[in-house]
Amino acid sequence: MKEKLSMILFVLVLGSMLTVALVVAHDYTAPIIERNQALKIKTKVLEVFDIDHTKDDVETVFSRNIETTEKEDRMFYISRNREIAFEISGSGLWGPIHGVIAMMPDLETIKGITIIHQEETPGLGGRIAEKAYLDKFKNKKIFPELKILPPGKVRKENEVDAITGATLSCKAFEKILNSQLKEYLSLFRSVHSGS
Amino acid sequence: MVVRRLFGATGYRTVKNGVWGDHPIFSMVLGICSALAITNKVENAIAMGASVAFVLVATSLIISPLRALIPLRVRIITYMIVISSFVIIVDKFLKAFYPDISEAIGPYVGLIITNCIIMGRAEAFYIQNKVSHSVLDALANGIGYSYTLVGIAIVRELLGFGTLLGIRVMPGGWTNWVVMSMAPGAFFLLGIFLWITRTAAEIEPARRGS
Repeated sequence: MKEKLSMILFVLVLGSMLTVALVVAHDYTAPIIERNQALKIKTKVLEVFDIDHTKDDVETVFSRNIETTEKEDRMFYISRNREIAFEISGSGLWGPIHGVIAMMPDLETIKGITIIHQEETPGLGGRIAEKAYLDKFKNKKIFPELKILPPGKVRKENEVDAITGATLSCKAFEKILNSQLKEYLSLFRSVHSGS
Repeated sequence: MVVRRLFGATGYRTVKNGVWGDHPIFSMVLGICSALAITNKVENAIAMGASVAFVLVATSLIISPLRALIPLRVRIITYMIVISSFVIIVDKFLKAFYPDISEAIGPYVGLIITNCIIMGRAEAFYIQNKVSHSVLDALANGIGYSYTLVGIAIVRELLGFGTLLGIRVMPGGWTNWVVMSMAPGAFFLLGIFLWITRTAAEIEPARRGS
């Protein structure tokens, strides 16, 4: 019995000490990590608006060119040309997909998309994060809705080629885009008609 | 020889075993998973090697002084909580100060927790030996692991990307061997590495019936 008690005591004491160490490490790094993530999003927003920047002047270029408004905890980034961008996220085939999409001022045409995070199959679904693929979305219309179709079947302005061999990732991406666009754009419109 | 003078014959043997004779990767064949996964670029290999070395040393600094106190029946749990705490600290540190590297090696930092080298050294060495020798063993194993990773990464980055630490070194007409930057390249190279080093270190595979 005594042996068991001392065993439990040992694990508890060691565990608490290490937990304290972790809390200290977390408190120390959390603000820096948060800043890194904010910087990453700013970089992606500049990228999606095609605004020239280097690694070191992201902050200044961003504050000079981009206006931000927040509505119901959603951030909208507005460029000088009145294009708007916002973050999109949802589940891909294997894991979360997180990115930034920019719309032309008409709110119907896609200006560009960048991906911040995805976990799709490397070489297949993972190619949704490649610029060469994302460029295919440029100037596409989102009404009545965006459609990702097998390569070679694209006819209309709201249709985009899928990646061969990655049908399910593309389907998931299509779903994320459509639902997020709908949600964010209606929110954005309500803000602007109100103001 | 400096090592022998500083730490005596036992210390010398510890270091020699860590970086050569009982080398974690080619002799004990531990830590292969990370060695295959993150050696596509030298930068990642250095970060991974340094992280593992740090966790090894930190673990030895806790387990070895406590070795008389750790109840035998919960020693594995003790290793686990100590190792995972330090791995989380390393992960936070990389995320805060080297976000690019952290993103590139992503989940593999967390997987250091399950890297058998650390668990193996704790069970085989730190729980039985005094602190100075344990730390020496941790350093030696950390160096042994790191130089392997960096060595493989140098070949892979050179052939697969034509660069070293991101700086272009191959001539303009160089065609990247894409296979080297992907998983199969790692398998080929690790196989060749094991072949050369095991032959040089005269490690015989266990024969059946002997």
